[in-house]
Amino acid sequence: MTMIRTEKINKSFGGLHVLRDISVSVEQGEVICIIGPSGGGKSTFLRSLNQLEKIDSGKIFVEEQLLLHRDKHTTVRRADKETYQRLLLEMGMVFQQFNLFGHKTVLENVTLAPMRVKKMTKAQAEEIGYALLDKVGLREKANEYPAKLSGGQQQRVAIARALAMEPKTMLFDEPTSALDPELVGDVLSVMKQLAEEGMTMLVVTHEMGFAREAADRVLFMADGMIAEQGPPEALFTNPQNERTRQFLTSIL
Amino acid sequence: MVWYLQLWATIYEGLEKIWVWTPALLSSTVVTLELTIASVTTALVLGVFLALGKISRNRVVKSVTSAYVFFFRGTPLMMQLFFVYYAFPRMLMELVNNTVALQTGGSWAWLGTFFIEGPLSMENRFFAAYLAFSLNIAAYLAEIIRAAIQSIPKGQMEAAKSLGLSYHQGMALIVLPQSYRRMIPPVCNEFVMVLKDTSLVSTISLMDLTFQTSMIATNQVSTLVYLPAMVIYLIMSAALTILFNGLEKKLSKYD
Repeated sequence: MTMIRTEKINKSFGGLHVLRDISVSVEQGEVICIIGPSGGGKSTFLRSLNQLEKIDSGKIFVEEQLLLHRDKHTTVRRADKETYQRLLLEMGMVFQQFNLFGHKTVLENVTLAPMRVKKMTKAQAEEIGYALLDKVGLREKANEYPAKLSGGQQQRVAIARALAMEPKTMLFDEPTSALDPELVGDVLSVMKQLAEEGMTMLVVTHEMGFAREAADRVLFMADGMIAEQGPPEALFTNPQNERTRQFLTSIL
Repeated sequence: MVWYLQLWATIYEGLEKIWVWTPALLSSTVVTLELTIASVTTALVLGVFLALGKISRNRVVKSVTSAYVFFFRGTPLMMQLFFVYYAFPRMLMELVNNTVALQTGGSWAWLGTFFIEGPLSMENRFFAAYLAFSLNIAAYLAEIIRAAIQSIPKGQMEAAKSLGLSYHQGMALIVLPQSYRRMIPPVCNEFVMVLKDTSLVSTISLMDLTFQTSMIATNQVSTLVYLPAMVIYLIMSAALTILFNGLEKKLSKYD
């Protein structure tokens, strides 16, 4: 099944055209890494999928159902309220700055949405919560507040929090960019584990090692366009596009 | 040695007077306290809604709440107090009598009467003061609360939304609770100001601590009374500050 498909989505901030006719489809179980220079539209693309940014025009399909169709800054069609909410919840998001809820404990961070949105009982939510904290290796931190955790630990909690809503696709917006180098590994290994379990993943990243190892496909985005895409080996060893080549030599 | 004895005699005499005044001062202190507490709690609730209105994306809500804040911060508190006490009830009464009551042949006249004899009557100074202060303080608190809400990183609301929470849930469960601690110092400051600003009600002859003090000063031709009165204000301000410091510490547990 196609988990996410976009058709010619466009987005501008003022005069800056950050997304130009982006059409992408993401198959179930696929791990896609999006790389490219800053300001190229990578984060905006990810954020426009789960509606943190409103696209100016284009269509977004989730699980082959129309989520939103916009044209010239106005909504042409959108899924009915119930479907819309359900489709949005099929996408979990992990942010660069973690964005953990500072006034809630680690466990509460994970159980809050299942209880408030899915109306689970506290016991049900905590069972899931502990299982997910186990998965990211942080069960013993369940009752700590986020401020007491390292960046890497916070990001793993953020992953557990997103997983608690049982999304089919996970969106990672530069998940390791705000971390000290020695903390990156723990987060990446959780992400690799997820990929191995068959989670569909869209990852905006600067970790080329991760992209090489875990991605099924790499998209290179620059100037609001997908300049090149392909399997990681091909794209990294034999880039066809001049921009890609420049970018890869500048970072490797 | 005589000046020395005289000094003590004077001090003793002063203390004796203060002792006599104390019951009157304390009972008027209760009025000051009641007015302060009633106004700030009402204003706090109203202020939260005004703040949410000011950051609302709904243009009508935004402009109405902004106009409210603009008006109450831009006009003198004393004039607002006079308006609520003297002008407002009469204006309402005239309005009712000249329109509804006239058309219906007087069967609505009770409403006009209600405005000048009900809770807004001239005898009910406390209610007028409470109303004016609540409305005024709410405008100031709205700005404090708005600033605190907007100091919470945007990512918090985004994370809430990405988990399926609505804007209202995100506000109530995530953003507002984290903003409380940030608003405590300016809110405390505002409350101490209110405590002292309530002395304005002496202008509508509400028997608060200030009015009582000046009555004693005039009637007994002794200005010494200002000293114990100021000490009472100081004690109340200090108590407020201590209370808020404790609250801030309690809310800081997750940092």
